[in-house]
Parts: sequence; structure tokens; C-alpha cells
Amino acid sequence: MRAKKAKKSAAATTVVVMCLYIANSAPNSIKAIANLEAICKKHLPGAFKLEIIDVLEFPQRALADGILVTPSLAKLSPSPSARIVGNLSDRSSVLHALGIKE
Amino acid sequence: MSAAQPARILRLVKSGPELRALESGQVDAVLDPATGTAHLLPAAERALAAAGGPIANSLLAALPREDYRSLLGGLEPVTLTSGEVLHEPGERIRHVYFPNDAQVSLLVVMADRKALEVGLVGREGMVGIALALGAEVSAVRVLVQGSGSALRMNAASFREAMGRCLPLQHELHRYAYAKLAQARQTAACNRFHQVEARLAGWLLLTRDRVRSDQFHLTHEVLAATLGIRRVGVTNAASALQRRKLISYHRGNIRILDRKGLKAASCGCYEIVRNLAS
Repeated sequence: MRAKKAKKSAAATTVVVMCLYIANSAPNSIKAIANLEAICKKHLPGAFKLEIIDVLEFPQRALADGILVTPSLAKLSPSPSARIVGNLSDRSSVLHALGIKE
Repeated sequence: MSAAQPARILRLVKSGPELRALESGQVDAVLDPATGTAHLLPAAERALAAAGGPIANSLLAALPREDYRSLLGGLEPVTLTSGEVLHEPGERIRHVYFPNDAQVSLLVVMADRKALEVGLVGREGMVGIALALGAEVSAVRVLVQGSGSALRMNAASFREAMGRCLPLQHELHRYAYAKLAQARQTAACNRFHQVEARLAGWLLLTRDRVRSDQFHLTHEVLAATLGIRRVGVTNAASALQRRKLISYHRGNIRILDRKGLKAASCGCYEIVRNLAS
């Protein structure tokens, strides 16, 4: 029990840095933000950094980051980095990409 | 940005998770490395157009971009139809609305069912401001007067957003104060000023809200707005029409001479307008 707690707090101190690429307030982009926020609230409370980039405003930035479609989520750190495409409604694949064990 | 043809998009996305997401309808835009631009998919393009383009509501547009984005998850685009009642007096507020091009009227309903318009909300404002001030129940009837689009948020998400988003709190408190000051001014205006001057001022306020010299308002709506009988509306509108300031036919209003109409209005128009900005 104690070991489990310690493990949990150690995980909580690792900040997950992510970048979400969206297209203004288009439907899938709104869904992706809502889905990601719900996941972060539950699994990474206070332990994540999220940058949201609107590709309609900053297409060059998204292209430079190797993004092809929106919504796309890039996990930048801790390594390994990962990428997931779509509106993030498949919770388990988002958790997998972020390296979070359910 | 442009609406790309599906065939062109398919050429850009050939395989992998991107193609799977595209095929399951989870993609809003595709980036084109050749042109360095983003192409919206037709469904996303339509949804953005229905929401009145990027950010049409002034309260939302005034928020820092990051804060606006943090609200997006809770905002849902809706179409409001003329005649639809959003809240009844005494009813719990379930949603707040940020109109884009919809026009919403706030009415006080008296015991004898007579109604008087006490406020208008368009793209400059929000419906359900009571919730931002800690009240849970609507004090007024909220009636859609001009069909259009809006973004709405449920009460729970709104309370949560108010708690964490200081710029939203600040914007809404400023808006609530402006509304309070306007109500005070209007109370005095209704008591002291002539119907014709009040009608002129009110038409100018509507013009500012819809951003057009031409709009539709029935006698009934104008009577409820000015708190007078329909015949009073006819007289006042005819007087303004004789002076060639407006044309008015079956509820279709066109402002012909904005300066003249301003001169014909009581000073309250200018005061209320300044309070709103």
C-alpha cells in the first residue's frame, strides 16, 4: 500500500509536456480539447503542460513540427515522444500514447 | 485556409493513422507542405461558418486566446430561432448563451401577463448573466427575437469556467455592470422621454447590434420594447418615416438617415451605447 502511494506521487512529479494541434473551433478540435482536458484532470492533475496550436493561424509551425492533420496530439516529454491523431475519443489509446497506465 | 476538395485531401494523406482518422471523420483540417497552408474539410468549414466565423461574440473575443481555448470544450454551437423562449422567469438557468448573430430580448412579465422589454442581447453580450453573479434562477423571460447562431455552455461548466478563468470573470462583471447602468438609464428614459425619441434611439441600438441599416421588427415587438400600445408604435414610426429618417413597411425597417435619426433620438442612445463599449 505504502509502496503504491510512493509510486503514485513519483509519477505525479513528472510533468508531461504536450502539444495539441487544432483547427480553430471546428467540431473535432473542440472534442479533442474536451477529451484531453478530462484525461489530464483525472490522470495528470497538476502534472502536465499543454500548448494548443491553431493550424489555421500557424500552419508553418505545425508543418515544421511534422503535423499532417488536425486534431493531432504530440507528447514531447518525458521520452519516448508519441503522437496521436483524431479527436482523442479513444481514451485507452490516448493513455497509452501518454505513457499512463490505467 | 480554404475548403479543399476531398480528392485533393486524399492525395495529401496517403496512409497511416492520419488516413484512419480521416476515414472515421475525426479530422478537421489537413496541412499542405507544398503550399504551407491548412485546408479545412468541408464539414469543419460548414461548422465554422455556422458559428459565425472565428470568434464573433465580443465577450469571448475579448478574452486572451489561451483562455478562450480553455472554454472551447464546454461551448456548443447552436442555432436560435425567432420566437424561441430560452428562459422563463423563476426557471433555473440550464445554459448560458453567447450570441453570434442572434438577437435575444429580455422581458419582464407582469402579473397581468403584459410584458416589457428590459434588455437586448446580441453579439456584444451573454444570456444568463445572473449565473455569473451567483443567482441560479432567471428573473426575466428570454425570447429570441432575431434568428441566428450562438455558442452555449451548460450551467455546471460555466460555473467551473468562472471559477478558474479570471479574464472571463472580469469580462462578465464588466458586462453585468454595463447592463445595470443601462437599466438605470432606460428607467429614467422611459419615464421622461417621448415615444418618438425613444423609438429613434432604440432603432439605432438595434442597428449597432445587427450591424446593418436594414432589419425586421414587428409592431408587437416594438410595442413590448417601448412599453406602449401598437397604435403608439404606428404613430411614432409614421412620424419618423414622414421625416424621411426611416422606411417602415410590415416590420421591415430601413434606416435612411442615420445622422437625422440620431438627432431625433433622446441623448440616452449615446449614453447607453457608450456604456456598452
